[in-house]
Amino acid sequence: MTSTSAERSIGGKGQTKRALDLGGTRLNTLPMPRRVLLSLAGCILLGVVEWRPFLGGSSRARQPLVRSPITSSRLLALERENGCLDSPTLAPVAQAWPDWAAAHIAGGDVPPTRVVADPYPTLHSVTVDSVNDLVFMSDPNRHAVWSYDRRASSQGPEPVTPLTGIRGPSTGMMFVAAVTVDPAAREVYTVDNDIGDRMMVFPYDADGNVKPKRVLNVPHQAWGLSINWVRKEIAISVEGPRQIVVYAQSASGSDSPLRMIRGPRTGLGDPHGIFFDGKNNEIVVANHGNQNGRQTLPGSVTPGRRGEAVGPIVGGRFDDPSVTVYDGETNGDVAPVRRIQGAKTGLNWPMALSVDIEHDEIAVANSGDSSIRMFSRTSTGDTAPVRIIKGARTGIRGPMGVAFDVKNDELWVANYGDHTALVFGRTASGDAAPKRIVRNAPAGSPTVGFGNPGAIAYDSKRDELLVPN
Amino acid sequence: MHGIFYNPRDDEIVVPVALGGAVLTLPGGANGGDPPVRVLQGPKTGLVQPDTLYVDVAHDEMVVDSGDDSVLVFQRKASGDTAPIRKIGGPTTQIRNIYGLSVDSVHNLIVVANRVDLGGRESSDGILIFNRTDSGDVAPRAVIAGPRTGIIKIRQVVVDEERGQIFATIKNNFENYDFEQERPSPWNPDRTGFIGVWSIHDNGDVPPRGVIKGPASSLVWPAGVAINPRNREVYAIDSVSNALFMFTMPELFKKPASATGDFNR
Repeated sequence: MTSTSAERSIGGKGQTKRALDLGGTRLNTLPMPRRVLLSLAGCILLGVVEWRPFLGGSSRARQPLVRSPITSSRLLALERENGCLDSPTLAPVAQAWPDWAAAHIAGGDVPPTRVVADPYPTLHSVTVDSVNDLVFMSDPNRHAVWSYDRRASSQGPEPVTPLTGIRGPSTGMMFVAAVTVDPAAREVYTVDNDIGDRMMVFPYDADGNVKPKRVLNVPHQAWGLSINWVRKEIAISVEGPRQIVVYAQSASGSDSPLRMIRGPRTGLGDPHGIFFDGKNNEIVVANHGNQNGRQTLPGSVTPGRRGEAVGPIVGGRFDDPSVTVYDGETNGDVAPVRRIQGAKTGLNWPMALSVDIEHDEIAVANSGDSSIRMFSRTSTGDTAPVRIIKGARTGIRGPMGVAFDVKNDELWVANYGDHTALVFGRTASGDAAPKRIVRNAPAGSPTVGFGNPGAIAYDSKRDELLVPN
Repeated sequence: MHGIFYNPRDDEIVVPVALGGAVLTLPGGANGGDPPVRVLQGPKTGLVQPDTLYVDVAHDEMVVDSGDDSVLVFQRKASGDTAPIRKIGGPTTQIRNIYGLSVDSVHNLIVVANRVDLGGRESSDGILIFNRTDSGDVAPRAVIAGPRTGIIKIRQVVVDEERGQIFATIKNNFENYDFEQERPSPWNPDRTGFIGVWSIHDNGDVPPRGVIKGPASSLVWPAGVAINPRNREVYAIDSVSNALFMFTMPELFKKPASATGDFNR
């Protein structure tokens, strides 16, 4: 066994587990296959791989150092690369608590015997700037935003080197759910979900561990983000409180929203993807359909401690997923002007969505069945999609992001269940192969799928570990 | 989802669904889109936004965070719109924001990871211990909290019933971001999180009896903890590293010395 140890297939799925030498400490191989249960992606990766800046001398080129063993002395570097520690790091100052020095405390600074982690970016949101031929993608795994040349692609199994990577503690980014851009102002906008609760704005040329131009505090559980270039406003979807908050595009600090869409009439249910359509002055929202046990109150009510408007307890329920559409100036508890919902829609865990305002179509990243569903922009009710991209040839796996590039007649898809972004022809349909593939890891690299995991359980019957996202 | 439980006796996985105000029970071997065998949801349940839960297999009960500052106890097989059989909540309980729950069925205890944010970088988080059959607005039998505990931003807790030890994940940090600083950071690198171990007999402002903490541990913001007493292993999931760590820690699976603090009942 070398320092990188042996590899063998587990679980009959051709996936690899790898046990690595932790700087000379004793190494345990796993006694039997283990399962990591994920709410978003049922993938397995057992191993430790290190990230560090690409040693090319250029600050514009950053990519993972693939499959290098990690030593205990380098574990600090893993934290640093996870965006937790500044670089260069000053000598750590030991935190002291009263009586700890005198107490007999077992354990201490013990290295793990095994680690499961994904060293590569996990793609979440995608946005295209067809004016400047750039593509930006958010990465909640490494707390980063990566930009690529719009025309770049992997010719084989190799990853594409990003043009820039915004990441590190100074960026303030944590669980980066969404990214969008303002090509005219050359600004990148990101929003954090679940931890962070901030919207960050960076200049286009931001790269590395840099401060944003401005920061806006947003409600807890923000997910989607969209700019209306006509109104100069930003719309943000918020999951648990089931609300859409609209800010001035220039908002910063603790600025209040201009208006909110919230309340039982809105039909909002765990909203995710959002598109603020400047041409038609509409806000289009993808809803998972979850309703927690407390009814939301109208948007004029100040949210409670968990960002939740304090309404009556009515009991939770699982509504059907939907796409709801609101007038751009909607404020408060107002019903949508259109609602796509029902069995014919095939909506299942709809994540991001994008609107093609020239051809009047809505594309939905339908994570539940790994498809992209295209609807007429004006359709309503229980309506079937006009096209579906789905199948083995498409390479679509748990899509989180989707974006039209109307200028180039293309459609971008960001896979959360694979280390790829896919580019299709705008009118692609069925089991169509993508025109281009942008890999951020060598082909075949599995994704762990951890996204701000908060709990773990041990299955003693199967000797497995269960991790919900 | 911020909670999960595996029930080895009945081979079931139980999860809270905060965004749907529900508790789902799935087969132990569930995979992909397998449906739940039971769904607990509705106005009678009192479930608002449940974040965490625990199944007391020995007593066939399910202990669930209501998402509304109370602990709800249901029959294990409760489904549909069913009311809890007991509820612990109210000002005397000190329960504010539950991030972890565990049951010690041997010593008949419910252990609550309780968050009380005081604003900024201040909190009075702690571990509340109740009698298993407590109900109503009752005082906890013990509270482990205070500066000596190091408990700041507590998350999941689990009890090693045989040895009467509580394992807790402590994030020890706040995701504040002071934009005005030259090099701001949402994390304080000198205040990484840890796993702390206390006795079920501890009470008051007492240091942990065991920890996994420090740069070699790789723990940044440990959010979840599970234990395998048979292998003397501790498992931690980290919400910033997005990584799962396994530690071999025989020293944390020894019976603790006598209780510390003011054990009041």
